[in-house]
Amino acid sequence: MLEIKDLHVKIEDEDREILKGLSLTVPKGEVHAIMGPNGSGKSTLAYVLAGRDGYEVTSGDILWNGESLLELEPDERAAKGVFLAFQYPMEIPGVAGLTFLRTAANAVRKNRGEAELTTPEFMKMVKEKAAELNIDTEMLKRPVNVGFSGGEKKRSEILQMAMLEPTMCVLDETDSGLDIDALRIVADGVNALRSKDRAMLVITHYQRLLNYIVPDKVHVLSGGQIRRSGDKSLALELEKSGYAEYAGEAA
Amino acid sequence: MNIALTKTPAEQAVPELLDRVGKSLPGGEKAMAGRKQALGRFQSLGLPHRRIEEWKYTDLRNTMKEVLAPRLDGASALAADGLSTALGPLASIEADRIVFVDGVYSAELSSTFESGGDVSVAPLSEALASGLASLTADGADDGQNAVLALNATFVTDGAVISIAEKAELDKPLFVVNVRTTREPSSISVRNMINVGAKAQATIVEVFVAAEGSAASGQANSATEVKAADGAELTHIKCVIDGGQITHLSNWLAEIGTDTTYNGFQFTMGALMARNGINVTYAGTGGKLDMSGAFLARGNEHVDSTLVVDHAVPECESRELFKGVLANRGRGIFQGKVIVRRDAQKTDGKQMAQALMLSPDAEFDSKPELEIYADDVVCGHGSTVAEIDDDLMFYCRSRGIPESVARALLVESFIGEALEKVEHDDLREALRTHAMTWLETTEA
Repeated sequence: MLEIKDLHVKIEDEDREILKGLSLTVPKGEVHAIMGPNGSGKSTLAYVLAGRDGYEVTSGDILWNGESLLELEPDERAAKGVFLAFQYPMEIPGVAGLTFLRTAANAVRKNRGEAELTTPEFMKMVKEKAAELNIDTEMLKRPVNVGFSGGEKKRSEILQMAMLEPTMCVLDETDSGLDIDALRIVADGVNALRSKDRAMLVITHYQRLLNYIVPDKVHVLSGGQIRRSGDKSLALELEKSGYAEYAGEAA
Repeated sequence: MNIALTKTPAEQAVPELLDRVGKSLPGGEKAMAGRKQALGRFQSLGLPHRRIEEWKYTDLRNTMKEVLAPRLDGASALAADGLSTALGPLASIEADRIVFVDGVYSAELSSTFESGGDVSVAPLSEALASGLASLTADGADDGQNAVLALNATFVTDGAVISIAEKAELDKPLFVVNVRTTREPSSISVRNMINVGAKAQATIVEVFVAAEGSAASGQANSATEVKAADGAELTHIKCVIDGGQITHLSNWLAEIGTDTTYNGFQFTMGALMARNGINVTYAGTGGKLDMSGAFLARGNEHVDSTLVVDHAVPECESRELFKGVLANRGRGIFQGKVIVRRDAQKTDGKQMAQALMLSPDAEFDSKPELEIYADDVVCGHGSTVAEIDDDLMFYCRSRGIPESVARALLVESFIGEALEKVEHDDLREALRTHAMTWLETTEA
């Protein structure tokens, strides 16, 4: 279970607070959506969960299975099962996708006390998971994300997610830059990973993605706090009314 | 500007050194005349120093305290397995080899080259003795290069390679230089490569050290390349010496009409390396890609200085040099591209990039575009950066620990240059060398 308790976050070396007492609980087996206007703190929440430098947690806590994540480095969090699918996946020229996937998968396994994958085991696993996401393994011989279309980059993120077998998935604006076909493939990939052992947090500005990844709960984030929570119908309501009614409550 | 310089002890000792070792150098009397002329040129030029623009960052006069004597008697000291150990990951690459031990041809370690075939490979020492080659400055060597003059003075051997018209080499040809002496010594090698029209070849120069060899040494290497019309030559140089050597090198190339020349230089493990590269286009439609990767740590210093002379129209040049600099390592890139008045439709692009792993590292990059034609596309760029924080976070968010992520990102950086090496096994061997370097480099 993910428990975020009264989390206050500011940008390092700045006074401006981004998250102002955010509280949220996502039990295992559930998919929760976070929706909110631009600047509400959605991406900050994603980065703080994954442990990016440059943010300072001034108070509150993030507990994952009862253990605080705040003091852990990003790779230690990944070993604990945290995975962030980036809004803008990074390009790594000169490093083949397969090399990257294998390095990551084995680093995580090692850290979890599991056996590292042998080359045949790894290749078998990649081929299976790549096929599910409609990714040509030839593409993975190319450098990570270099020259990939928006859709290819997002599928590559979901493939990484599938390979690392996380238990807490945070998807940051996974729908941005995707056409409807790419969106469907990505959503299918995410849905395939839904399981009773996995908590998912889907961060999005638009309701569209939630037609494909149907959440158990929807939360509205505005002004650095959760303003409202509801079931999936809340997303539809937001689609009609917009975020205007939450704007005034900010700060 | 003329500044009278007193001779340094190193310069003063050179004539006496030739007197002392001259008799044991190859080529006999005929070659000796050329050596003495070269000595004369060297004496009037002196060791290059920082007041000479091309040597602005590499002051040999100041840093080269002596010219070491060659050792010509060690050729039999190295066995085949010793060579394999010295070559490391390069040993398993399927290739023909001509091998020089301490600058002297070793028939035992070299492949057998049939005479009269598509490829003729012979040691320069034989060509000097028979008078087929001379050491006079002509052609690409204009007599103004002191390092070349020093090379000619003491030349110990080298490869004379000739590839017949339309011949296609099915495997690379390695020119291997292996250092074995227990006391520091020098080699002076001179290679001559002639590639016939429409021929295709990959030639790889390698500089390595055998186990148990001295921690330091000097190499002075010169390679003249003539690639005729329509030829495709890939020319690679790998300096992979575990020691703290001084490596002075010159490539002098002239390429013909519609000729493709892909050059690549990989430098690691040199206390002081100076890679001079001069390329001239003799005909239209020439395509040059001259790239490199260099790794410097400790107090190492790697200087790559290029002059690309677009003397004729419609030629293309590409340069990509990437360096990783740790500790107090220093990298230098000087890239002069001359586009002569007649060289219309020239297409030139140049990029030099350094990744700094330490605040004490230094990179000096000096592009020089001299453009006299008015219808050309020429660009250059240079970057100096540390490891990207965003990329670091991306890797670590995938569970990759910091040290491994760091290695991966350095590999990513240098890998982009290594991608220029099309031969898969060779590229992977260089990558392995680079990774070993990285793993053994302290931040």
